[in-house]
Amino acid sequence: MAMFEIKNRGDGVLAVSGRLDASQAEMAEKRMNAIQESVRVDLGGLDYISSAGIGVFVKTQLRLQAAGHALKLVNLHPRVRAIFHFAGLEQLFGIE
Amino acid sequence: MDSRNGELHPAADGGAEAERLFARHFDALEGIFEFVSEFFVANGIEASNAFDVQVIIEELFTNLVKYSKGATHDIAIRLKRRGEHLEIRLVDVDVEAFDMTRIPEVDTAKRIAEKKIGGLGLHLVRKMADDISYEYVDRQSRITILKRLQS
Repeated sequence: MAMFEIKNRGDGVLAVSGRLDASQAEMAEKRMNAIQESVRVDLGGLDYISSAGIGVFVKTQLRLQAAGHALKLVNLHPRVRAIFHFAGLEQLFGIE
Repeated sequence: MDSRNGELHPAADGGAEAERLFARHFDALEGIFEFVSEFFVANGIEASNAFDVQVIIEELFTNLVKYSKGATHDIAIRLKRRGEHLEIRLVDVDVEAFDMTRIPEVDTAKRIAEKKIGGLGLHLVRKMADDISYEYVDRQSRITILKRLQS
């Protein structure tokens, strides 16, 4: 199973890959805690997300927004995008 | 087909069925996802259905792990093909009743506005499943989901 990873692509964009399920959420949150400013996050490599993973993104976004920053999520796999849609979170993350 | 050790055999009504026990820990998720994939391959179910089925099972399984206080037994997951639907059943034994079908719908936008994050898992299951039912018999919780399969 592909482990969840976040990498700095080198062009100011973070690239997320793998699967973000409940077993990966704690590790993912630790990685996301390193994000301190606004950044685009490319989710093209994210194959799977559940509510646990959504929670990590939401916590990060609320933290950043409180400091005047924000994540912008781009390039979502259709099924991943559907999860954000079912959760009513497209507006929170600027998903177009 | 049915079996308690994960192998597939024909069930009495002719539908393919498999059941396996999983330790009540989030680390069991990888094995659960593999179980789903194996069932799909064995029964010619289009792989594009796996995402939704895995999310549904993960949300229900993790809720049982988190909220069945004092529970120690493994959780049984059964998959059964019923024509164009997949029946997913989770059975948790020697537990108190917890009927998730009675939990009110979540207003996700309101929760986010209030900086609350929980309650999303059940919300996703309701959005993705075609039918959800719950039974509690002899200290066993049985959650049954029907999910229409895309071909």
